[in-house]
Amino acid sequence: MSHLTNIIRKEVKELLTPGSIASVVLMVILFAALGGIIGDEVSKSTVMPVVGIANYEDQVIVTEDGEWNAYEFLRNLYINSGDKRITPENVDEFVIKMDKHDVLAQMQENNATVALVLSDDFKKNIEDSLNRIGTGGVYLKGEIDQYYIYTPSGMMSGTISSAVTGYLVSFMNASLSKFITGEDAPYIDFLETPIDGSNTFTYVNGESFADVTPSEISEAMMGQTIFIPMIIMIIIMMVGGIVISSMGSEKENKTLETLLTLPIKRVTIVTGKIIAAAVVGLIFGIAYMFGMAFYIGSISYMSIGSSDIDMGTLGLSLDLTEYLLLGVSMFLSIACALGICMILGAFAKNYKSAQTMTMPLSILTIIPMFITMFSGWYGSNDLIRAILFAIPFSHPMMATEALLNGDIVLVIGGLAYMIIFAVVSIIITVKLYDSDILITGLGQNKYIEKIRGQGRKKR
Amino acid sequence: MTDALVLKDVRKTYGQREAVHGVSLTIPEGEIFGLIGHNGAGKTTILRMISTILKITSGTIEVYGKDVATQPDEVRKLISYLPEDAGAYKDLTGRRYLTFIAEFFATGKERDEMVEKGIELSDLGDKIDYRIDTYSKGMMRRLLIARAIMTSPKLAILDEVTSGLDVINAYEIREVIRNIAKSGVTVIMSSHNMFEVDMLCDRVGMIDQGNLIEIGTPAELKEKYGKETLEEVFVTAVKGA
Repeated sequence: MSHLTNIIRKEVKELLTPGSIASVVLMVILFAALGGIIGDEVSKSTVMPVVGIANYEDQVIVTEDGEWNAYEFLRNLYINSGDKRITPENVDEFVIKMDKHDVLAQMQENNATVALVLSDDFKKNIEDSLNRIGTGGVYLKGEIDQYYIYTPSGMMSGTISSAVTGYLVSFMNASLSKFITGEDAPYIDFLETPIDGSNTFTYVNGESFADVTPSEISEAMMGQTIFIPMIIMIIIMMVGGIVISSMGSEKENKTLETLLTLPIKRVTIVTGKIIAAAVVGLIFGIAYMFGMAFYIGSISYMSIGSSDIDMGTLGLSLDLTEYLLLGVSMFLSIACALGICMILGAFAKNYKSAQTMTMPLSILTIIPMFITMFSGWYGSNDLIRAILFAIPFSHPMMATEALLNGDIVLVIGGLAYMIIFAVVSIIITVKLYDSDILITGLGQNKYIEKIRGQGRKKR
Repeated sequence: MTDALVLKDVRKTYGQREAVHGVSLTIPEGEIFGLIGHNGAGKTTILRMISTILKITSGTIEVYGKDVATQPDEVRKLISYLPEDAGAYKDLTGRRYLTFIAEFFATGKERDEMVEKGIELSDLGDKIDYRIDTYSKGMMRRLLIARAIMTSPKLAILDEVTSGLDVINAYEIREVIRNIAKSGVTVIMSSHNMFEVDMLCDRVGMIDQGNLIEIGTPAELKEKYGKETLEEVFVTAVKGA
């Protein structure tokens, strides 16, 4: 064996520890799972949304060749959409007949993403315009108002409903155009697009706002949906790294044993380390936050300020109390991170192994960051929600979304969970500091020895 | 005379392996007691149990009447432990490190006096204001000895205190230990250096595979085994054990 091979073998053996291999495997699993979640969201955006249609009964367009009924058109469109879930038997579950009054309640009741309401003049406008062809003047179009319900829920919020509904109105236009024209029709804008679908209304927390779509709101909210989770992830990883490295250094520099024999309570040592790491981590975190704010602000499409939409008018901004809740949530999540890190740090043999120990923390911050960014709490299924809730770092990431949704229960529930989590993890840390594991490591634990002993027998 | 340290049938188990098998001994106040044994014999485990950083599996240890298992906080006020190869916080200066430790024992003038005592004991001169990461091994050891002694502990627990030091440094540290014992501090120390133990310790305990196989003054042990040196006594005792 050459000298080079000898050195390479030694280095590879040092680098490929069970810890580092496990971390890589976990990351692969994590990204595969995230791929699945994102894929789900993308597939959600490609299936037909539940649509409500109102005021169509008296607005049927009648010509010599027959009649054009918006409801019947939608039914046929849905049946032939290629969406495997929709059949002629169950299409009424996807295309809902609605009354033009109290659209919001009907949308909520039927879980409809969008509602199309034909104006009272729809039929009249189209028929008048048809009769006027060749005489000039103004061609009035048949108006269809679009109603959406906006739910802040990650990057995908709003884009699904707005995008698909845009297509619905285009298809309706094409269909009606073909119905009223025929092959030899002259080019007139009205004949190409007889329907005016530009009137959009979006319900935000029960209140209707005109001329704004969920997609536009979602785009304007990008700054918050990306910025907050990223900052929280950075702060948590930073304070976590500080605490674990501090423990690793104490062991490597052989100062831990001295510290443990000083006349101070274990809880004082644990608390001191936690507070110091929290302060330093927060200082670093705030510095990063400013840096990131400038960076994100420089990317125009991500900037809140670049949007024409005033989030405050839509009720999509936080008041002082809500900012306070967000701050408390961030503080508690840092406390939880420090609790976890003190436990992990207790097992670090030295500074190098302490670096590997930060991997579980990274995974626990990356999971909620991606989920919050892409689908959010309200766009996730029960399993994902359970995972999100269980990870304490999710709560400040989800807090903005929950507060904008008026879901105070989720925020308070998250705070209560984080308090319990932090207290339990600090109790475990104090117990660890009071045990032999801090000095001897896991290698001399009877359970570990049993596992190793069984392993040897098998070999 | 008051008993500074009493071990009764002390056992320590790591996983499924018993590292210390029922060690009993009593050390009176002001004595320098040496624990000798080969690597892995259980010396450090015993010292760590006395220092409250390892749990006792069974048996009892009392430091000046305080039970290590049930009154660890009280015991920590009486002891000072210097682990083998111990380090200090490298970003600090020697003076700042001594002050950091002194803060746990005293405040105000008393603390300042403690630090001055530590500086004097360390004999580092103006190097006391240098960062610790610039210290040689001998300087580091002197600083740590000073740290362990400046707090005026009633029991000093020293693990391989002169290990790896040159002749001069080792000699000076032994002098410091002699002096503190004269001032009434009880010392329990472990060492591989039989010469050092012979010269320094009032009594010696020999540990082999977790058992206390001999205990007595160096003179008594040499007489018992008919040997000239403690080293020969140890080899004979271990082989005969």
